[in-house]
Amino acid sequence: MRSTRVILIAAIALLSWTAARANERGVVIRAGDLFAEPFVDAAKIGPLASNQPVTIIERKGGWLAVEVAGRRGWVRMLNVRLEAPARPAANTAALRTGSTGRTVATGVKGLDEIDIRNASVDRDQLAQLGQLAVSSDDARRRAVLDNLKEAKVDYLKPGKVK
Amino acid sequence: MRAPHPLWTLAVICALVSTSASAQFGPLGSILGKARSAQKIGEGLRNINEQEEIKIGGDLAGMLLGAAPLLKDPAKQHYLNTLGGWLAQHSERPGLPWKFGIVDSNDFNAFSTPGGHILITRGLFDRMRNESELAGVLAHEIAHVVRKHHLQALQKGLREQSLNEMRNYFSVSTGSGLGDRFASAMLSAGKDMYIRGLDRDDEYEADRMGVVIAARSGFSPYGLVGVLQTLTATTDEKGYGLHNRTHPLPLDRLAHLDAAMGTRFDSMQGLVDDVPSFVTLRNPPPIAAPPARTAKPKRPKRP
Repeated sequence: MRSTRVILIAAIALLSWTAARANERGVVIRAGDLFAEPFVDAAKIGPLASNQPVTIIERKGGWLAVEVAGRRGWVRMLNVRLEAPARPAANTAALRTGSTGRTVATGVKGLDEIDIRNASVDRDQLAQLGQLAVSSDDARRRAVLDNLKEAKVDYLKPGKVK
Repeated sequence: MRAPHPLWTLAVICALVSTSASAQFGPLGSILGKARSAQKIGEGLRNINEQEEIKIGGDLAGMLLGAAPLLKDPAKQHYLNTLGGWLAQHSERPGLPWKFGIVDSNDFNAFSTPGGHILITRGLFDRMRNESELAGVLAHEIAHVVRKHHLQALQKGLREQSLNEMRNYFSVSTGSGLGDRFASAMLSAGKDMYIRGLDRDDEYEADRMGVVIAARSGFSPYGLVGVLQTLTATTDEKGYGLHNRTHPLPLDRLAHLDAAMGTRFDSMQGLVDDVPSFVTLRNPPPIAAPPARTAKPKRPKRP
């Protein structure tokens, strides 16, 4: 019983990985090594140069499985910058703002500044939100079911940004 | 028995006057009342208690829900609350009445309000690659609440408000004229906060804390990194505008996380990227579909 369940979960998880957004593209931002497996002490397949383009096949923890110039291996996630996918045409609804140089969409339906500015407090919705809360026991039950393992981890100090 | 010190006598008289003044002393009472109502909040918002924090946060969450209502999908909402509740248990404020909601908007955004109210958009939920990414987003919002970043931001806009009005707002449930004045000033300051964003350093701090809260809960801390990577690769501002204008650039956030994380998590074993309970709920949009001009969404053509 238990083993079939584990196999089923593993199969679904594997499916989800392979069905995940395959073939994202990225660029190496820091020269380093391509590894055979997603571990720091795994065998090295070869060097990766800075600015080298990669195709992302899979994600696992802090690692990306990539294809680079015919080779396939693992690289640290933070050593790669994701590239925007190629687009057929620019979004004509966007305009550039002078101060920041970032684009701002106009006439977009969603949750923007105007929606917030015009909003009033919705007590019914707030009450519904309150109904959604679950007990910490319920939260723990699901975590156990999903095999989430608690760990003691200290907060990080800010690092030196180059 | 020694006679009481004159200063004590004075103190007792002052106390009597100030507590019963408005009832018994007529004109003197109204002067004292005016003096009290002229008192400003100043730094007072930093020192409110937990119930007061929850009340402010409830009004702000109600305002955000007034802008975008909850998604009518009980399975997703329940799932979000079990995940969020689990993460919150690994913060420094597990006892808050944490509530999580998906709002029905295709935009990409997440909000939190004081006292443990967390709202994410349907668009964000569906764009998550895996559960550790969602855990990273929720943990980032939980960190804002734990560190009371909103109260610090609201404080700036409210320091000139009347202390008396704030006390009325906290003590009277509804319909008090004084309390309503504070409520409207607070909502206005809150709207400014959600439109302008929090302090940039508070965002970096919430990122650093978020990855740790996710790891404490058994998730890969790199989920949040994945979300920020998605944002760096998003050139289409449609649906991302408010998020992008209220946060530091994702490339800067990644650089800060990179510097803080280093190799700290390399030795951690058994961290989870994704679980079946999330996979079945997610409904990702077609990847890199061209701007919606055609009726049928096209599959992307990429090498």
